[in-house]
Amino acid sequence: MEGAQKPLELILARNLLTSISTPAFLVDHAGVLMFYNEAAGALLGIPFEEAGRMGPEEWGMRFGPFGSDGERIPYQELPLTVALRDGRPAHASFRIRSANGEEHDIAVSAMPIATDEGTSGALAIFWPVDDGRGSGEAGR
Amino acid sequence: MKVKVWGARGSVPSPGPEMNRYGGNTSCVELKLSDGETLILDAGTGIRSLGVALAAGMPNINILLTHLHLDHIQGLMFFPPCFKTDSRITIWGPSSPEASLEHRIARYISAPLSPVEVRELPCDVSFLDTPASEWEIGSARIRAESVTHRGPTLGYRITEGDTSVCYIPDHEPGLGAPLDGLEQEWISGYDLAHGAQLLIHDCQYTDEEYPDHVGWGHSPLADALTFARRTEAERVMLFHHDPLHTDDFLDSFLGTAVERWEALGGGATQLELAAERRELEVGAARELAAG
Repeated sequence: MEGAQKPLELILARNLLTSISTPAFLVDHAGVLMFYNEAAGALLGIPFEEAGRMGPEEWGMRFGPFGSDGERIPYQELPLTVALRDGRPAHASFRIRSANGEEHDIAVSAMPIATDEGTSGALAIFWPVDDGRGSGEAGR
Repeated sequence: MKVKVWGARGSVPSPGPEMNRYGGNTSCVELKLSDGETLILDAGTGIRSLGVALAAGMPNINILLTHLHLDHIQGLMFFPPCFKTDSRITIWGPSSPEASLEHRIARYISAPLSPVEVRELPCDVSFLDTPASEWEIGSARIRAESVTHRGPTLGYRITEGDTSVCYIPDHEPGLGAPLDGLEQEWISGYDLAHGAQLLIHDCQYTDEEYPDHVGWGHSPLADALTFARRTEAERVMLFHHDPLHTDDFLDSFLGTAVERWEALGGGATQLELAAERRELEVGAARELAAG
C-alpha cells in the first residue's frame, strides 16, 4: 500500500475547484499548494500544470502579494495561512502580480478544511476587484 | 479467501421473476477467511438469507458497514443471529461527529420503523467506529477509507496473506474529474483498490443513464471500468445493480462491459457482474485471471 492518495476531503475540494470558474487555491495541511484551477491560472498568468506544487513560502512570495502601501505582505498574514493556522475563515484584500507582470487588486476569502482527525488543508477563493468585476458582481 | 454474494442490488430490493438470476436483494457479501472466521460486508436485505445459512455455527460475527443508507442496513433487523443469545456481533461503520454508530443505526431499529429496539436484541451486539489505521479481525487485516458518495461512506480492503479483496459498492470517483486523466493520488478509493485480487465496485448506471444521475453517488460503466484499470485490479465484479435493470438487461450490459473492458486492455475472464449466490475463491480467481 503506497499511501500516496490524498484525503477524500481534498479530493472533493479539488474536484469542486476544477468545476467552477471562480479562481481558487487548495493547500494541504502543511500549507503546500496542491492545486489551483483554470480561472486562477488565468489571473496568475500561468496554469497550475506549469507552475506545479509549491511550498507555503514560495507561493506566498511568487505572486506578491502587496498591501496598499506597496509593501509585500508576509506569508504568515495571508488568509490561507491564517485559515490553516487558526482553523477559522479569514479574508483580506491586496494586490498580486501575475507571471506576465500584470498587477491585480483582489479580494481573498479562505477557509480551513476540517475533519474529525483535524485540519487537512484549506481553500481560498479570490476575485479581481480592479477590472470591472467588483465584489458586487462576484456572483457572475 | 472465499467470497459469496448474498445481495448485489442497489438502492432498494427489487424482487420479481425478471430479477431472479442476478437477484433482488440489496448489498451483502460474505468473506470466509482461511482461519474459519466470516466477515460480512454490508447488511442489505441479502444478509437475511446469509443469517439463515450460518445457522448455529457462527457465534462471533463481524459486519463491516460501508455506510448507513437503507439498502446497506435494511437486513440487520431480519438477521437471525441478532435474535440468538449466544451470538456475539460486532458492527463496524463510519464515524460521525453527529452521533454514535449505535445511535444512528437505532434510528432504523426503533419505533415506528421497527417493532424491536436495539437494546431489546438478545444477542451480544457492539457498535464500533472503524479505526483510522489498519486493524485485524482473525487472520485478516482490514483497512477502511472514506470514498466519494453521498454522506460519510467507506470502502474496505481486506487482506489475508498476499490476497486482497476491495469492496466499494457505492462510489462515484469520476464526479467532477475525468478518471482517465487524473493523477492516481487524486482518485477516490485508489489506495484501497490498487492491485487487489478482486475489486467489487459500484456500477449502477449505463453511460446513457448517468447524465440524469450525476452526483447521486454511483458510477456509470465507463467510470467503473476506468477505475478498475487505473487501480490495476486483477479481477472485477461490478456491483450495486440498478433496481430497474432486469436479468435480460444485465446480460446485455455485461456484453457491453466486456467489450469495453477488452478495449481498455483487460481480459474477458477478469470481469463479471455480481449475482446473488455467486461464489468464488479469490486465490483461484487470481490464477484464472493470470491464465
